[in-house]
Amino acid sequence: MSVAFEEAAGGRRRSVAPALVGPATILVVLVLVLPMAILFRYSLNQFVPGQFMVEAVTIANYVRFFTDIYYINVLWTTVQVAIACTVISLVLAFPVAYFLARTTSRFKSILVILAVFPLMVGNVVRAAGWMVVLGNDGVVNAVLRWIGLVEEPVKLLYTPTAVIIGIIAVVLPYMILTLQSVLEGIDYSVEEAALNLGAKPSTTFFRIVLPLAMPGVVAGTVLVFILCMNAYATPVLLGGPQFKMMAPALYDQIARSTNWPFGAALAFVLMATTLTLTIVSTTVMQRRMRR
Amino acid sequence: MSQVSLRRLAKRFGSFTAVDDVDLDVREGELVALLGPSGCGKTTTLRMIAGFIAASGGRILIGDQDVTDLPPYRRNTGMVFQGYALFPHMTVNQNVAFGLEMRKVPRAEIGPRVAEALRLVQLDHLGERMPRQLSGGQQQRVALARALVIRPEVFLLDEPLSNLDAKLRLTVRVEIRQLQQALGLTTVFVTHDQEEALTLADRLVVMSQGKVQQIGTPTELYERPANHFVADFIGRSNFLAGTVSAPGRFRSRGGLDIAFADDGAGPRGEGVLAIRPEKASLEAGTDAGTGANRFPGTVVFVTYLGAATEVRVRLASGEEVTVTRHNATPLDDPRHAAGDLAPGNPVTVVWPPAAGLLLAPPPA
Amino acid sequence: MTIDIARHWRRWALHAVVVLVYLFILTPVIFIGWISFFSNEIIAFPPDGYTLRWFSNVWEQRVFARGFVMSLQVAFISMLIGVSLGTLAAIAIVRYRFPGRDTLNMLLLSPLIVPGIVAGTALYIFYIQIDNYLEWRLQATLEGLVLAHVMLTIPWTVRLVSASLVGIDRSVEDAAMNLGANRWTTFRRVTFPMMRAGLVAAALFSFITSFENLELSLLLVGPGRTTLPIAILQYLEFKVDPTIAAVSLIQIVLIGVLMLITDRFVKLSRVV
Repeated sequence: MSVAFEEAAGGRRRSVAPALVGPATILVVLVLVLPMAILFRYSLNQFVPGQFMVEAVTIANYVRFFTDIYYINVLWTTVQVAIACTVISLVLAFPVAYFLARTTSRFKSILVILAVFPLMVGNVVRAAGWMVVLGNDGVVNAVLRWIGLVEEPVKLLYTPTAVIIGIIAVVLPYMILTLQSVLEGIDYSVEEAALNLGAKPSTTFFRIVLPLAMPGVVAGTVLVFILCMNAYATPVLLGGPQFKMMAPALYDQIARSTNWPFGAALAFVLMATTLTLTIVSTTVMQRRMRR
Repeated sequence: MSQVSLRRLAKRFGSFTAVDDVDLDVREGELVALLGPSGCGKTTTLRMIAGFIAASGGRILIGDQDVTDLPPYRRNTGMVFQGYALFPHMTVNQNVAFGLEMRKVPRAEIGPRVAEALRLVQLDHLGERMPRQLSGGQQQRVALARALVIRPEVFLLDEPLSNLDAKLRLTVRVEIRQLQQALGLTTVFVTHDQEEALTLADRLVVMSQGKVQQIGTPTELYERPANHFVADFIGRSNFLAGTVSAPGRFRSRGGLDIAFADDGAGPRGEGVLAIRPEKASLEAGTDAGTGANRFPGTVVFVTYLGAATEVRVRLASGEEVTVTRHNATPLDDPRHAAGDLAPGNPVTVVWPPAAGLLLAPPPA
Repeated sequence: MTIDIARHWRRWALHAVVVLVYLFILTPVIFIGWISFFSNEIIAFPPDGYTLRWFSNVWEQRVFARGFVMSLQVAFISMLIGVSLGTLAAIAIVRYRFPGRDTLNMLLLSPLIVPGIVAGTALYIFYIQIDNYLEWRLQATLEGLVLAHVMLTIPWTVRLVSASLVGIDRSVEDAAMNLGANRWTTFRRVTFPMMRAGLVAAALFSFITSFENLELSLLLVGPGRTTLPIAILQYLEFKVDPTIAAVSLIQIVLIGVLMLITDRFVKLSRVV
């Protein structure tokens, strides 16, 4: 038998490893895996008004979702917002990540911390900030009125635009940090070699930097897309009551309508859509990269 | 191929001067090595020639063209980087073809030229490989082919051998020299390895603290170092501090009265006398004997090096000198160096006056 | 000089984008902080004057005071349990070879991937069913929240502590044993101090992730037993005023201070 791991003389006993991973594993299984399995089972149950939930094995909840124009619209809105936010944040994050990866400035670590900081502060607080900035009596409108550009306040808050702005600000740090870590790994001399061989800076970017950064682009895009699809606080606070995305719709089903089977189906439609789109886009990006 | 000229080239980073008014002419087809300890400004100079760093002062000319203000991609230089800097996402062929594509060379011409360049470095069978599938030596050759295929006016090499193992380094060194001579490439080569520089270069530029210390052929540098730094950096030397007591006479601090070949060029008063270890010889015993520069002493330490033996001797004056003896005779020959020397043995160190070179004392 | 002009122009453009993106990211944090000092209760720009009274107002609003204490409790307990369990698991994953190791690693990182709102829904239903069948109440209790948050903090610990363990040169441990230290002493005197940066980072991230968590906790709280972010959310659905800005600023400052303290122990720019 080949030994993959050299053990020192008087080596450790094999029973140690299970004892070490055991507690964490049991907890994750009990608190995540098992509840998720139950949730999936419930998505196949029937909801009878007045009777709450009836045991069954039916795909009726999923059928209802895909035949109800309201929910199809909610899903479609969610996907559109998520794609818009992912693309815009990728474009905005790339130059920043590149700067952070290449700078030798002593402010670099401060800049990294400044990118992490809003991420740590939490979505709710940041959404509150945007409400203050975009509201009818907010900063933007105050400035516009002061310049004399408008008489009446422009409606910014409680619009899809506000939600998109809010979500982009939430996910940008993730995109920046993911791209930065990959860009740091690209040897600068490779860029110099391209310049030396006659490539203009723009050519160097598209032929060398971007293809080499592709793993980071894929990772960042996937991470950010998932976060966008599941956004809760930002659409609730900045989108107003008319605007619905999937995560708030799910909360409503469980908390307000107490329709567990349909809520469960909603949860799995959300996850399945996210997963499918993630796989499709990753494959497309990787195929692009290979060409 | 063109010649390269640096005119009072300078680079300052804030108050720090990395390259201090360097003047250099590299002739067509010549290989010039920039040599010096790390931080001496040699790499900065090379990167200024390539255009990666903007000069703070002075001009760079390639052929008749002043390229000082041109970005790297408008200068026709071919550079081989220390870590090779191959494009990891491209095949060997694509790597080599890149520079030709940038020059808008017609597609029909690119294929044959890439193949030719790879043949030149004996890699024509590996064109479809990715860089990570190649050994260090092979990657090095791809880097060479990639830089050469564009027919650069100047060939720039930044410590190209430092990532290779010792054996391979010797082979690649010879290959680079052969290629350079066969193609008549005007080449600037940066290295911190003096042996590499001495064996490869037509001329060497020794740099220290941003300044050129001496420019010359390997022989000139070794036999006639311009100052203490060069004498110390190129090869090894014994340095004896003291003063010039009379024309052709040097008195060391320990009190040795030494004859040296005085051409009048060296400093008067305080100075340093440099003697190469292999230019001195040893005689057993401490007989006074006749002739110039015979100094008795005791063996302190013996290092057997195979081809030679290095002997450290403490002279009666208290000063120590190292003498290299070549082991040119069979071991059982009584004249064999290693045979009769052990610490404590009395010996006499002898060197001809011409072996002593008078230099200004190093700056404190 | 032309190189310099082209270079400077590009550099200037890059710097401009960097500054704008940073402004964009920081805008909400800056404005919420500013507004918390406005003297008028109805927000208007520019303000008539400045005051500190909203901060005392916060403590009179029982929801926020209770939410703050609740969040602190949950975050602290979850951090302690999560970091302990996660560290043990990380040691096993990095240092031992056993069947299913990669799967287990994925499983322990999975809480990062499952959407918070979905996991929250699943747990909510799970807790209610446990209460129904076993008569053990977890929904809207401290224990229930802690359990959920420990699950949330485990992946951060596993990731950060694994990274710091992988970075430890095993020959250093060999050296300790060669000098006569036994396994436990080697761990205590050599390995553990070298893991410290990873542990501090894991503790910080665990605490903060738990403290600011919204989605997972949303369904697991009840009236009078609410975390601070949820209290803020519920208030914001109703109105924005300097009081809520003051609450937000308190959360911002608390997290900022924690990050600064941590940065003294480990360079945050290196662990993130």
